[in-house]
Amino acid sequence: MKNIFLLQWKRFRREPVLFFSIFGLTVLFVGLFGGFSQVDKVEVPTYFDPSVEGEKDVWLERLNEADTFEFIEKNQDSIIKDVALGYVNYGLEVSDDNYTLIVAAEHQELVLLDQFLKQMFTEEVRINTIASQIDNTEFRNDVLTALNEPPLTVEKTTMNNESRPSYDARLQALFGMTLFFAIYTVFYSLMNVAREKRTGTWNRIILSPVKKWQMYFGNMAYAFIIGFVQISLIFLLFKYMFNFPLGDSMIDILITVLCYCFAIVALGMLVLGLSKTVEHLSALVPIVAVSFAMLGGAFWPLEIVSNNILLMISKVIPVTYGMEALTNIALGGQNFIDVSSSLALLILLGVLFMGIGINLMERRA
Amino acid sequence: MLETTELKKTFKNKVAVDNVNLYLEKGESVGLLGPNGAGKSTTISMISSLIKPTSGEVLWHGKSVVKNPNIIRDVLGVVPQEIAIYEELTAYENLQFFGRIYGLKGKALEQKIDETLKIVGLEDRKKDLVKTFSGGMKRRINIAVALLHEPEFIIMDEPTVGIDPQSRNYILEMVRKLNEEKGMTVLYTSHYMEEVERLCDRIYIMDHGKIIATGTKEELTSILSSEEKIVIELDRPYPNFVEKLEQNEKILQVSVSEKGIDLIVPKNSQLLGEIFHIAEKLDVQIVHVNVQVPTLEDVFLHLTGRNLRD
Ligand SMILES: Nc1ncnc2c1ncn2[C@@H]1O[C@H](COP(=O)(O)OP(=O)(O)O)[C@@H](O)[C@H]1O
Ligand SMILES: [Mg+2]
Repeated sequence: MKNIFLLQWKRFRREPVLFFSIFGLTVLFVGLFGGFSQVDKVEVPTYFDPSVEGEKDVWLERLNEADTFEFIEKNQDSIIKDVALGYVNYGLEVSDDNYTLIVAAEHQELVLLDQFLKQMFTEEVRINTIASQIDNTEFRNDVLTALNEPPLTVEKTTMNNESRPSYDARLQALFGMTLFFAIYTVFYSLMNVAREKRTGTWNRIILSPVKKWQMYFGNMAYAFIIGFVQISLIFLLFKYMFNFPLGDSMIDILITVLCYCFAIVALGMLVLGLSKTVEHLSALVPIVAVSFAMLGGAFWPLEIVSNNILLMISKVIPVTYGMEALTNIALGGQNFIDVSSSLALLILLGVLFMGIGINLMERRA
Repeated sequence: MLETTELKKTFKNKVAVDNVNLYLEKGESVGLLGPNGAGKSTTISMISSLIKPTSGEVLWHGKSVVKNPNIIRDVLGVVPQEIAIYEELTAYENLQFFGRIYGLKGKALEQKIDETLKIVGLEDRKKDLVKTFSGGMKRRINIAVALLHEPEFIIMDEPTVGIDPQSRNYILEMVRKLNEEKGMTVLYTSHYMEEVERLCDRIYIMDHGKIIATGTKEELTSILSSEEKIVIELDRPYPNFVEKLEQNEKILQVSVSEKGIDLIVPKNSQLLGEIFHIAEKLDVQIVHVNVQVPTLEDVFLHLTGRNLRD
């Protein structure tokens, strides 16, 4: 088995292009979908009604205290045109004690923006109303000072993980893309078996004292390690180079990756068993990789899937449990014991796939 | 030493090998001759224990190979029909890997690799990637891999297909030496009759899964000993000439060749005069006439009505 295993690395050393291409693609796609740096602020073109002409700068400054939005002054016509043509998703019109959003289509950030503005304006209107009633120009300043240095603060903390976020776009991209592309790496590595069967070296090894199981295990061990190294390197890269919030326990994440790789190697054996020729296999690999990634929630979180049939299918797909466990560890602060049911299912699916796969292959031989 | 009895292999509905009986004695060089699709490779796969026969037995020193594959695997070297090596590795690395899986290591392995490379004449190319090799060199390294563990019995499946005449010559000479000087038992399959004629003590002729004739070269050609072959070269094809010859009852067989017509006629039938007469009547230009002793090719043609190579 050692010889078979080492042979694969020797072959890899001569033709590493595929591995590095897939590695590069993964990094690229995680970057594209997750963003290499902190998310940029969203620009909001803003028009000021003549009624607030004088207080424009004060308004802009106050609006730009927002974390996620950047308000930029534009004239009304150009905002309406840009929104109509879809160059921007929305614009803002500020008048004396009111605001209007100029919108062409619903957008996910709209709720957030509206909430922010509503809070801002009610506060503003309230202060203005009181100020005008008690007729004191210094009042606003007093209120602001009081707000900045409150006599009493209330801090809210939660005792359990419930309120932690269950979704982070950057982690979704990182986990999804990495697990997805690792399927390719593992499958293409296992394709050595099919290629050896075709060139005849497989038969040569069969005739040697090497046992059949050693031949399979040597190849699977190679595919397993190459998949594990790829996933781990990418996780480490994004954690330490791009500060992705992977949580504190890399060990638990790596344990999950081990289980995931086992399941994917086993799935690869099943795909090998199902295909008659190398061409057939080459066609099958992307089909399985893409559909499993989709169904397993690598491209979009399973939380947004409502179709029961799809959800049921996702239960026999390793990607599902890989994503689930990784997300729970990174975002939910869990450890590998907390996610052991996901890990156990990965192993179980793996054993199942491998059993069927090797059986199919041996029956054909 | 080796014997097959009523060996049969059926793929789905197709009978690939049909009740084949053959044997090899120690030190013999035996040829298995037949056109593509005759069932040679399938027979070899069953002998080497790679596939199980549908029925029949393969016996190695009287013991069943089907039941206990290891008895033959340890002493057997197989040169497969396809080039079964790792093209992305060097010649040396290939031999190193295959040597290791046979348990060779260290100095002994190195020595064995060098020795084997010398036999196949590739010692100065050992550091080169196999994918840079010519067809003939790939064939030779393909053979080298089968020799590493010093098998006492070697099976070669069409080891000279698609290579230049020099490489081919080299390989044939090499096989002869292995057999004559090292006493290796050889089972050599081919669809080139010159090869088996040159190399083999005995020959089995196979067609459509069946052994249709067997014996030494002399025994086989004596099937046609009461006949002779007339090779006629013509300046161009004459279909009406062929037709007339076919109608002649004394001529046993007429076949159109590249340059003219080949005839099988009874020995001493003195048909030449008659043939020239027909040619003259039809205004046929004869360029050359040659009367030959039949070859294995002719034997095959005689037995099957077809040429070996098509
Ligand atoms: N694995 C297989 N499945 C189906 N048919 C096969 C298989 N292997 C060989 N055959 C068929 O059996 C016949 C004999 O093939 P083979 O032994 O390769 O002939 P040869 O080596 O003499 O050219 C051919 O008709 C071939 O198509
Ligand atoms: Mg063949």
